[in-house]
Amino acid sequence: MRIDALLLSLFRSLVYAFLLAPIVIVVLASLNAGNFLTFPPQGLSLRWFWTFLDNDVFIDAIVYSATLAAGATAVSLVVGTMAALYFVRHARQKAELVRLGVLLPLILPEILTAIALLFFFYEIGIGTEHQIALFTGHVLMTLPFVFLNVSTSLQGRDNAMELAARTLGASRYTAFRRITLPLIAPGVAAGGVFAFIISFDTFGISFILKGAGSAPLPIQLYDYLRFNFTPEAAAVSTVSIILTLVLVTLADLLFARNPDA
Amino acid sequence: MTEVSLRSLVKRYGKTEALKGISLHVRHGEFVSLLGPSGCGKSTTLKCIAGFEEVSGGQILFDERDISRKLPEDRDIGMVFQSYALFPHMTVAQNLAFGLEMRRVPKVEIAERIARAMDMVQLSAHAERYPKALSGGQQQRVALARALVIEPAILLLDEPLANLDAKLRDEMRGFIRDLQKRVGITTLYVTHDQGEAMTMSDRVVVMFDGQIAQAASPEEIYDHPTSERVARFVGNANILDLAVSPRGDGQLDLVLPGGHLLRVERPACGAGGGMRVMARPEQIALTEPAAGQIGGRVAKRYFSGRHVEYHVETDVGPVVVVAPTTHAVREGEAVGLRFDPQRLWPVPSAEAPAEGRE
Amino acid sequence: MKRLRATFLILPAATLIFLFVVLPYVTVLVMSFRAPADGQPYGEGFSLAGYAQFFNEGYYAWSLPQSLVLGILTTFVCLILGYPVALHIAKASKRWRGLLYGIVLSPLLIGIVIRSYGWTILLGNSGVINSTLRQFGLIERPLPLMYNNFGVVLALAHVFLPFMVLPLLSALQSMDPALGQAARSLGAKPFTIFRRITFPVSMPGVQTGCILVFVLAISSYVTPALVGGMRVKTTTLLVIDALIDQFQWPFGSAMALILAVSAGLIVLIFARLTAMKWN
Repeated sequence: MRIDALLLSLFRSLVYAFLLAPIVIVVLASLNAGNFLTFPPQGLSLRWFWTFLDNDVFIDAIVYSATLAAGATAVSLVVGTMAALYFVRHARQKAELVRLGVLLPLILPEILTAIALLFFFYEIGIGTEHQIALFTGHVLMTLPFVFLNVSTSLQGRDNAMELAARTLGASRYTAFRRITLPLIAPGVAAGGVFAFIISFDTFGISFILKGAGSAPLPIQLYDYLRFNFTPEAAAVSTVSIILTLVLVTLADLLFARNPDA
Repeated sequence: MTEVSLRSLVKRYGKTEALKGISLHVRHGEFVSLLGPSGCGKSTTLKCIAGFEEVSGGQILFDERDISRKLPEDRDIGMVFQSYALFPHMTVAQNLAFGLEMRRVPKVEIAERIARAMDMVQLSAHAERYPKALSGGQQQRVALARALVIEPAILLLDEPLANLDAKLRDEMRGFIRDLQKRVGITTLYVTHDQGEAMTMSDRVVVMFDGQIAQAASPEEIYDHPTSERVARFVGNANILDLAVSPRGDGQLDLVLPGGHLLRVERPACGAGGGMRVMARPEQIALTEPAAGQIGGRVAKRYFSGRHVEYHVETDVGPVVVVAPTTHAVREGEAVGLRFDPQRLWPVPSAEAPAEGRE
Repeated sequence: MKRLRATFLILPAATLIFLFVVLPYVTVLVMSFRAPADGQPYGEGFSLAGYAQFFNEGYYAWSLPQSLVLGILTTFVCLILGYPVALHIAKASKRWRGLLYGIVLSPLLIGIVIRSYGWTILLGNSGVINSTLRQFGLIERPLPLMYNNFGVVLALAHVFLPFMVLPLLSALQSMDPALGQAARSLGAKPFTIFRRITFPVSMPGVQTGCILVFVLAISSYVTPALVGGMRVKTTTLLVIDALIDQFQWPFGSAMALILAVSAGLIVLIFARLTAMKWN
């Protein structure tokens, strides 16, 4: 190999390492037996995982985040899939406008959207109560991901199969349920997984719109990290990383992936 | 002016051999087509010559110089790709200038040469256009001009007409062939379309499974294929199982079921092994039942405008006959078939099951 | 009737976006012109006080160039780090591609708080890098890796690298592989091909990636807050401070809009500079 090619591949390897470094470090730090997040670790132990399991604040936060993510994902899946169907099949010359509109929450800075929602909900007299604002924010944040995934899997195929089903006597709804839905299922599933993970991890929206009482996990972590440096936060993060990995793997196993995706 | 020689070219991908020893000599200014079904190694051969694939064995010679270890950019080739591969961010003129800039040709000369090249492909009016704004046929011509403006040693074309619609394709056949003759450049042309290969080439190289099956003029390939497979791949062919008996004088006797005896030339190939006989559909005459050498019944009749195709059931199996539209034989009618002994061609019978026409 | 039924499909999404994105942004715009008040988010009537305060007080005004420079630096670092990676993945074999793709996407799957937190463990004064260097006796006092622009840019580049690599990758993958071969057959060396063909043809991806990363970087909050430790004052940090901690809604809104408009201008200039006639 020539020297410049060697340097280039070295550089690339460093970038890959750079991408993985913080994640690996968090996992390693969570196994630290010592009191502070220092390096090298003062021996290996799972003690911070036990501390975390005893800490209701973090457990509550995880449960709260998961519930919130599940709810937001459910709404996004329905609304996003419908929008994707419209975009691919019916939008015609309005297609660009529809796409831009649905993707707005992704394009606009999250923190600004959060502020905008905060003002808006105050103006209509609800504020951050009953977690309505927070939930709405999470639906907005997850909607583009469902839309993108579903429209991508729809775009690959024309609606000839659905039309074929209708010539065979299926109603519009039956044709959708029996033909189109199974075909786009991988896209819907991928959109759902994405949506769940985004909601689980999103910060800006939760930070601004959370009401009194329980808060989503990223907020609890952030609050904790501002004043504490124990490896407990690392343990919580590790658990969160593992949950994400499990979710992604499950989705990958359950739904055959689109070969061209 | 350059001659190209391939000497026992071998290309392996892991354990599979894509090219199993290709030897070929292309003369000065010759237009040679590599023809074959997909996966036969024709494109691989071209990529080896261009230098995009490293050869695993054998040599590639340009005028006795072995270039098989040279980098593509140092081989002095002009290449036209199936996708044209025009640089989308450069105008037509910039596309044409690129190769000359790489060769450090002075600016003034570049301008002159691209002007001439654009004139040659009739695109002078489009010099400042971007490829996106051109039609498929125009893009094709830019690709040709870009490959030729550098005045390369040889021109390689990789299925350049595959993306054009039928009418334009026919036009471009003539255009490319005329241009090639005018420039007088040694040309290798890869295609899976036998019509293209036949109409354009000085010589056609038919390839199967990484090997050359036959390399000869289009007429020779069509009339005297050296194997049943070539016969079937190039044009339509009736392959008949007839009793073949060799004679001492280098000819063969064919005995038809009705007792008719035909005497035909014995081909150089196929000394041993079984022989079958190829008859091209348009070389068989349709007659009254009594006047034929063999009899049969028309099973199907297809009218195509230019001619009529009859599928005739006979004692030697189904025979396809192409006749002028003046014939009016209906399905189910009895007919006679006459063969011209001069045009019948014995081929060694294929061991492997023959593939369908392509 | 058919059109009506089709329109029903987009109705929920359209309602959501209009009610909860378009109207709220209008609210922000209106809010930025409201009069400030003590003890409550905003007062009666309208004024330009929010905008005036931002430009009159250096503490706030200087955060704007700071934010924009931080964004530009982050974008630049992402481009430099991301391009070789995108090229690599585009050329990789199918089996490798999946793995490399996973590595690039991995930061996206791990929340932004955890990622920023990972950087604090690495870059802190008693963090992995400093304590390792100290152990080998290479340094006596810890290197200032965190609580400064260096650390923030590094962490931001990490967090947003996927947003650079993905558009680059899609631009590179949609590029005809024969382009490079054509250039070689015309006599171009590999580096010339990169400079004259690959890079310019991938320009739409470069544009998208740069704009995405820039916008994300200047509006990011967690990473500058954790890695910069509130010592790197970006406009976004000050906006949140004004809104959440000081309860000054008109002022916070004005700042947010000033930042958004400045960022928009930079994006416009960038898009103009990199405009592609051929596309």
